[in-house]
Amino acid sequence: MAQSAKAADAAGPEQRTQSTGVYVYGLVPEDVEVSSDARGVGDESGEIRLVRHGKIAALVSDVPLDRALGTPDDLFRHEALLDATAAEVPVLPLRFGAVMTNAEAVVDELLTPHHDEFHSALEELEGRAEYVVKGRYVEQTLFREVLREFPEAARLREEIKGQPEELTRDARIQLGELVNQAVAAKREADTQTLVEAVAPLAVFTVVREPSHEQDAAHLAVLMETDRQGELEEVMNEFADRWADRVEMRLLGPLAPYDFITARTAQE
Amino acid sequence: MTVQPASGGVASGPSPSGLADVIDTILDKGLVIDAYVRVSLVGIELLTIDARIVVASVDTYLRFAEAVNRTDLSESGGTGLPDLMKDVSQGQISGKSKDVAQGVLEAAGEKLSDFVGDSSEKETRSRRHDREER
Repeated sequence: MAQSAKAADAAGPEQRTQSTGVYVYGLVPEDVEVSSDARGVGDESGEIRLVRHGKIAALVSDVPLDRALGTPDDLFRHEALLDATAAEVPVLPLRFGAVMTNAEAVVDELLTPHHDEFHSALEELEGRAEYVVKGRYVEQTLFREVLREFPEAARLREEIKGQPEELTRDARIQLGELVNQAVAAKREADTQTLVEAVAPLAVFTVVREPSHEQDAAHLAVLMETDRQGELEEVMNEFADRWADRVEMRLLGPLAPYDFITARTAQE
Repeated sequence: MTVQPASGGVASGPSPSGLADVIDTILDKGLVIDAYVRVSLVGIELLTIDARIVVASVDTYLRFAEAVNRTDLSESGGTGLPDLMKDVSQGQISGKSKDVAQGVLEAAGEKLSDFVGDSSEKETRSRRHDREER
């Protein structure tokens, strides 16, 4: 069982002292290769390598333990590696910050006991990746819509206008609450419209929490990467239909961050 | 690598995936290693960015109210709202008030961008990760 870890694709001696750990990015099929320019998290940004066991492998790099992880560079590298991987092969992304003692521990404690579970999840992900659809309301259009559709908001706006700020706090809170409800209702309706539009393409869809107050929609879609063109067409249709109202963005292919947690929770 | 489709129309510009996108995506999603590994975990300090948005707070309401108050109705193509008439009829004053509105808009714009864009600087703080206590 304790098959020794092979530092495949990584030349050079493995240095292991107590000041270094093995950062784990995600799990992939055994038969993949890592491009040599991939850089890991941490100041030293260790070389990315594969620790293999059976039909699966972990994407890892050595990481010094003397400083906290989580700088913007660390976050970007973690995601960039996983997303570049997801564009080519199935990958199970780990949450940011997973560090183990050494490569043997990765084999003995992570890969060996959970081999079949990880392997079947990877098979299920074959040919699929995550795409994130984001819509952000155009501010002026959004609030004009709200003022048109909610006369009470327009009335409060008039009431506040020209008054000193200290006298209008209650009215402003009341106005803001009304606007918040109106925006939430619009978001729900527009999100639903998008969910229905991508449903024919999607294996699964997750509605993400809004990442901004003026978000119109925030979806994660798991789908066949072969159908990316069809998704782009759908997005372009909405970009036209909602021109000057919602700015649409499409991110992907990404590692299936939004679909792995739910999967394992079911098991 | 996060790729934005080059087909145009969807994204407003060829902006790369920003930090906010990355934070949304990797900080609280993906397999949690603690669920699989107990012994060989290394407790490393994680800088965490609290990018959670508390929707429906008083701050949110005040920000919305501010944004609505600076919304320019004059381009809305006639909504029958009273101030629309005022703005049109009082040409000289609206020129003056435009400058004022401009100032407000810029100030508020800064606040909004702080809210999302600079979260890394403003809200980054270090905390010991719980798993260290294992």
